Amino acid sequence: MTLPDLNGRVAWIFHEDNFDVDQIVGVKNIKLTDIGELAHVAMTSYDPEFAKVVRPGDLIIGGRNFGYGHPHYPPMKVMRHFGIQAVIAESFSPGFWRGEISMGFPLVACPGILEAVERWHQLTVVWQEGLVRNKTTGHELKMEPLSMADYKMLQCGGLIPYLKASLAEGARL
Amino acid sequence: MGSTITEKILAEVAGKSIVKPGDEIMARPDFVHSYDFPGYTDAFFREMKDEFGLEAPPAPERFALFIDHLYPPQAPKEEDLHIITRDWAGRQGIPLFEHRGIGHQVAAEVGYAVPGRFIVHFDGHISQLGAFGMLALGLRRNVLEAFVREKISIQVPATTKVNLQGRIPRGVLARDIFHSILAQFGPSFCRFQVLEIGGPAVSELSMASRQTICGLAMFTGATTAIVNPDDCTDSALSQIELRLKPRRVQSDADAHYSQQFDLDLDSLEPLVVAPPNPANVHAIHDFEGLEINVGYIGSCASGRLEDLRVAADILKDRKVKQSFQLYIVPTSRLIMQKADDEGILGALIKAGAFITSPSCDYCFGHIGTMTAGQKAISTGTLNVPGRMGSPDSEIYLASPASVAAAAVEGQIVDPRRFL
Repeated sequence: MTLPDLNGRVAWIFHEDNFDVDQIVGVKNIKLTDIGELAHVAMTSYDPEFAKVVRPGDLIIGGRNFGYGHPHYPPMKVMRHFGIQAVIAESFSPGFWRGEISMGFPLVACPGILEAVERWHQLTVVWQEGLVRNKTTGHELKMEPLSMADYKMLQCGGLIPYLKASLAEGARL
Repeated sequence: MGSTITEKILAEVAGKSIVKPGDEIMARPDFVHSYDFPGYTDAFFREMKDEFGLEAPPAPERFALFIDHLYPPQAPKEEDLHIITRDWAGRQGIPLFEHRGIGHQVAAEVGYAVPGRFIVHFDGHISQLGAFGMLALGLRRNVLEAFVREKISIQVPATTKVNLQGRIPRGVLARDIFHSILAQFGPSFCRFQVLEIGGPAVSELSMASRQTICGLAMFTGATTAIVNPDDCTDSALSQIELRLKPRRVQSDADAHYSQQFDLDLDSLEPLVVAPPNPANVHAIHDFEGLEINVGYIGSCASGRLEDLRVAADILKDRKVKQSFQLYIVPTSRLIMQKADDEGILGALIKAGAFITSPSCDYCFGHIGTMTAGQKAISTGTLNVPGRMGSPDSEIYLASPASVAAAAVEGQIVDPRRFL
């Protein structure tokens, strides 16, 4: 079974290297747990209209070493609440990568992505071919392949279902 | 072509003769460590039972638990968490270490830091045990895998080597060396790789200094750091009863590294890492004169005997400036005892430092919490806004010498003036 393609619009581009995802909600709001309150403050320092213009299935684009620092869970929790279905970045910080993949949230490491997209472009992530296709421009980029374990974790929808499936099949590797 | 120490350790625990970067293997950790923290251990215990029907983890003799966060408890729910941990450890017969100090340090003191062995934790700062020539990985929540099956899936990481050259100048400490690595090679130069610290000058580094440098590896993007065992390692280990037999492995001379860099120690100077992130490294001169309210010497990345010793050297016969809060938290009870034997604690107390028994809680502002507008100089692990209290307070990371010097002046100063 392969992962289904992801189709979505570029809802926002974080150009900076070493982007600290806590900035999405602002450090002052990092301890908020109520999703409504988080949605009210998220992205407001980048685009005050973000909550209104974002749609389920949208994508976020990032630069190099995306997720650096000490990422907390609320920023990506609210992004999922908005319907963001994946982050595509030049590269990811390992701690962030592990944390999100283990929740079954797709991350796509795709060198060259910053140069290749603009806000609201339509993209398709074709896992089977290892490609990110910009449907607006026709441009295609290669993604970095996922490890087998990460791929399965996304397939299963996170760490616990992955471990259950893996235990059931006797962990053949 | 030869192998790195990391590849040799992973080959052994995967039951293979050789592994290469990128290989996906099933590896059996020799040890599985955790401290209790809400959403981690309590969740693991619950998930083991509810999701996997497991009462006990596989091969429980490999496990150990530590109580070092939320300690001493400040609210009933914190003590409730510790009770869950004590109950679980008691039922499984798993060793539990509490009021002994910060787990990553205590682990080494009680014999879990065994060269050639493989240890996992959820916390990435476990990398400091790489100082002893073991492979220590922080897996975040993925460590749950080790609680439900004996072997865990690992992708063999590539290794980047930093070769230390020259001699360590006066007034430059392990923190400055790590911050120099970060400043020179960047916050992602080692992404998803192992940082191997080597080169002729590695012999200049004490075990404590190696622990400090290895423990901060995550800020280079590394999954862990490691030092090949040498005479210094052997000498440290000779005083400890180890929990497993060491495996004498070393990186081969012809091992393949994805990158190699040299760090010239002679040219180093004291540094500070300014807000808002651990990569914002500057010469201390850039911030000299900046008024500071709080100083903290402690955490798993400092607070060891050599750190307390240098602080005492600076503070002996001097006073902490009026209204400056200097928190000194030895990393373990054993370190605290030794510091007492050497007269270090007495000198620090006399100077006006506030000294407490070991706890992780100062590092993340759970104790000694700062309010808006305050500034700390700290040997804690991290300086992101809000880490030590108000998001409108600021944290400047520096060596314990720089913290002690700032405590005297109430501002950032070059510690070399005091040494």
